[in-house]
Amino acid sequence: MATEQHSPSDGAVKHRHRQEGPQRHIVVFVLSVVLTLIAFAAVAAGGVNATFAVILLLVMAVFQVILQMGFWMHLKDKGHLLPIIFMLGGFFIAGTCIVMALYWVWWD
Amino acid sequence: MAQAAQSLNPSPPLRHGHSVKRHTGLMDWITTVDHKKIAILYLWAGGLFFGIGGLEAILIRIQLIKPMNTFLDAQTFNELITMHGTTMIFLGVMPVIFALMNAVIPLQIGARDVAFPFLNSLGFWTFLFGGILLNLSWIMGGAPDAGWTAYTPLSTIQYSGTHGVDFYTIGLQIAGLGTLIGGINFLATIITMRAPGMSFMRMPMFVWASFITSAIILFAFPAITVGLVLLTFDRILGANFFETSSGGNPVLWQHIFWIFGHPEVYILILPAFGIISEVIPTFARKRLFGYSSMVFATILIAFLGFMVWAHHMFTTGLGPVANALFSVSTMLIAVPTGIKIFNWLFTMWGGQVRFTSPNLFAVGFIPTFTMGGVTGVMLASAPADFQFHDTYFVVAHFHYVIVGGLVSGLFAGLHYWWPKMFGRMLSERLGKWTFWTFIIGFHLTFFVQHFLGLMGMQRRVFTYLPNQQFDLLNLVSTIGAGLMGVGMLIFLTNIFLTSRKPADAADDPWGDGRTLEWTISSPPPEYNFKQTPLVRGLDAFWKEKTSGHTAMTPAEPVGPIHMPSATILPFLMSVGIFIAGFGFMFSRDDFGNAFMSFMFNNYLVTAIGLLITFGSMLVRSLYDDHGWHIEPEELEGR
Repeated sequence: MATEQHSPSDGAVKHRHRQEGPQRHIVVFVLSVVLTLIAFAAVAAGGVNATFAVILLLVMAVFQVILQMGFWMHLKDKGHLLPIIFMLGGFFIAGTCIVMALYWVWWD
Repeated sequence: MAQAAQSLNPSPPLRHGHSVKRHTGLMDWITTVDHKKIAILYLWAGGLFFGIGGLEAILIRIQLIKPMNTFLDAQTFNELITMHGTTMIFLGVMPVIFALMNAVIPLQIGARDVAFPFLNSLGFWTFLFGGILLNLSWIMGGAPDAGWTAYTPLSTIQYSGTHGVDFYTIGLQIAGLGTLIGGINFLATIITMRAPGMSFMRMPMFVWASFITSAIILFAFPAITVGLVLLTFDRILGANFFETSSGGNPVLWQHIFWIFGHPEVYILILPAFGIISEVIPTFARKRLFGYSSMVFATILIAFLGFMVWAHHMFTTGLGPVANALFSVSTMLIAVPTGIKIFNWLFTMWGGQVRFTSPNLFAVGFIPTFTMGGVTGVMLASAPADFQFHDTYFVVAHFHYVIVGGLVSGLFAGLHYWWPKMFGRMLSERLGKWTFWTFIIGFHLTFFVQHFLGLMGMQRRVFTYLPNQQFDLLNLVSTIGAGLMGVGMLIFLTNIFLTSRKPADAADDPWGDGRTLEWTISSPPPEYNFKQTPLVRGLDAFWKEKTSGHTAMTPAEPVGPIHMPSATILPFLMSVGIFIAGFGFMFSRDDFGNAFMSFMFNNYLVTAIGLLITFGSMLVRSLYDDHGWHIEPEELEGR
């Protein structure tokens, strides 16, 4: 982790991203749109069981977040260990707050 | 605008012919983006609020000097305890922490400034205006009076009808913005701006502690931001998040407050740990014992710090399972903290210890903080906590960790880095007087409060009946508070006398400096390092000294240095938020004056404030400021 992050002076050597073709971007973009369409369709169709729809939406949301973070925010690329650690830390603490609010404040 | 001198040295042909505006006097301080000057601004502003909080403490102790005292009435007393806690934590010690972080971190990592100098300035001014707004409550209809924790329902509009708590929510919101900005800035600085060779595990311990502190700020402050927004909405816009009658839940506030509030106490103490870890090795002439375990312990404390908030709420009825879990997680924190205590002791063991004034504070810190830690473990036990809760035992505990721990650490840091910040050594003799009066006064004040609490004296009561065995101990406590006040006055005298001496401190005034800040002049030049140093190990300067070198090996040739431009925009943005806060706070008031009511009730004042802020942001976005350069010719003094 340390060797990837430090020293602004030799940054030119470090930031040698391999050029990604547009194909991958298009694939990810289409995937994002499809995930969104599934979510909308599940609700718009009307016939879907409400509990199932909620779970489906949450699962779609998780995939969506992974795609957005990984590809558009470059978390899948090298040299992003610290952003990933901080992202996970944020998710963890936000998750703690949500669990607290659900179990201790609303459902108690 | 002050007169703009053209460039520093117009005679030689400059390769990057940017002209640079040079401000002087007050304008220089308002527009500066230099981390060393912002550090001094933080120090003076924090010192001012610290003084206000200290006066409030003295008034509280005078009221409690004898039973049935009538020096203050109950309402004033409530306002004083609320403002004492809020001011000390948010506006007193946090800015002084930021002062030291600003003054020292870029120097210790071999950087020329922080990652975002503009944000650094913005962070300071939002903090200052938030603090001013909060303290204006004293002359604008009464200070907040619901305790520094502002528990609902006491802090709701129903039970706290004046604008006091509005000053609390809006003031802390604005000041908190500054803290969040500062935290993010230091994270970016430490991750990206370390000198070549300074890997994470070669960073000085103070940098590590500040790094972890900034991470906690990043994760904890959003919680208080949300909490304050909810409370503001309840109070000003008639929402019902905490209103039981409309389906809200007042305990939700306690959860949100302590999800922020417990990490906040680690935000306070970790920088002190870092300072102690710098001072003790320097004056023991030994490297810090167990450096990697110190790093690990700091990270562990930060992680556990988020897992213990409900120990403030044992008595709210969370149930035995939750209480047991939070008891255990709280007690766990004693493990990494204990590692630290032993590491400091082992650092001193066998070292050539010199008891200079910073080292006195550092050594005094260890037993004092440990006592606060021991009462912390006692409080962590849920059944015992039902007895201790809301008594002076709790007051004694948190003053031991915050005053005996953090403030001792800050004193150590201020005495230690004063020559680096100002170029003048503080008087050692007065420094030692400060230490002894302060620490004796401290223990007199707070040691007896453990027993007051165990005997049943409740906190936050404005007076007590005679003949409950409280009389003598309260008198002792007040005398101790006076002695601490004397210690503070000696410190101020020391600063005043020192400021009248010539600025002649050596680069390495303590003689045993281990880290990079001691390799450059005191105070450092605007650009800190003429050449970025090459770091060859932990305690980079000490390593060069032991290799027989007198200076660092440079990692780059002398070249033009890029500098950020001074700007007034952060100041204007903060003024805008300040005005908007006032406008929002008084938006429901009837002023008995058609113009005022029109301006406030239609949110026009808020709009004007936000216009200033967003207008400044627009200017910042549209106007490309490329900064300016200091040329090698100027660096060489030619």
